[in-house]
Amino acid sequence: MANLQLELKEMIITALDLEDIEADEIDDAEPLFVEGLGLDSIDALEIGLALQKQYGIKLKADSKETHDHFASINALAALVESHRGTNS
Amino acid sequence: MLSFKLKTWNAYAPSLESIDSWGNWLNDKNQSSEKQRNPSLKKLPLMLRRRFSAIGKCAVEASMPMLAEGQHIPLVFASRHGDVGLTLSLLESIAKNEPLSPTSFSLAVHNAVSGLLSIARKDPSETTAIAATENLIPLALLEAASQLQVHDQVLCIICDMPLPDLYKPFADSPLFPYAIAIVLSRQEGETLSLENQPLNKSTSSPQDDELKELIALLCHQSSTAHFLNKQLNTEWIIKR
Repeated sequence: MANLQLELKEMIITALDLEDIEADEIDDAEPLFVEGLGLDSIDALEIGLALQKQYGIKLKADSKETHDHFASINALAALVESHRGTNS
Repeated sequence: MLSFKLKTWNAYAPSLESIDSWGNWLNDKNQSSEKQRNPSLKKLPLMLRRRFSAIGKCAVEASMPMLAEGQHIPLVFASRHGDVGLTLSLLESIAKNEPLSPTSFSLAVHNAVSGLLSIARKDPSETTAIAATENLIPLALLEAASQLQVHDQVLCIICDMPLPDLYKPFADSPLFPYAIAIVLSRQEGETLSLENQPLNKSTSSPQDDELKELIALLCHQSSTAHFLNKQLNTEWIIKR
């Protein structure tokens, strides 16, 4: 599981041009948006695209579930895990 | 004829980071700005800084040192090509049937840099983004000087960067990314005049490099800048 968290952090750093941030500076449980890392709505779209490219996950932009999945690195990891579970 | 006052100016390109260095560049035909180093934009919040591409970084570095924190000033943003490399990358994604990057899409519009500057400086003043094929520099100044009718001061940023290789056979572009920022004022600074007239071949010196023409004027190495329009057979003249 910890490897998946690291993988997701590296995906986010690359997709969002966070060149000055190291993976270990992102907290697994902290909010990604507004507070915490401070990402914005364009970043959310960009992460959605990265999830689609890297893990084949398609999300609806406006659903409450999507909002929950994007809460933190841990929530994204749970999403990827459950997606792997349904596809294996 | 239109006149305005030039309150202050600044210019930035990688390796040309002071007004003195621009004066030296002007006098040495062989010296071009090839040492590519992205300016640091250290004053901007980290999360905003990453949104500025090479041309936006030049615009920040040229304009921000002249402006006080919290100062509200309308902006005329002028670029012939804008960030055409970004547009090309989106077109290439479409050609490959790849999904488009939402960030690149949002930043590929011509007024993206002026919008980012407005956010970075927390300045809600109006911004105007213009482009021109010929005579970008005098036309940008014409727009900015015209806006002095309703504002005491107007910031004019003129910037461009080299075209991607694919487009180079089709249009001119500078050898390096640059931005020139000029504060025009109703009352403060030295008076400049701007006029358009039929091309007078006997008095005009041929000048193909509009950037050099403007820098020479700004650096007090000339008192008149000529910008020819070969299609219309006219010229713009800026005089001190």
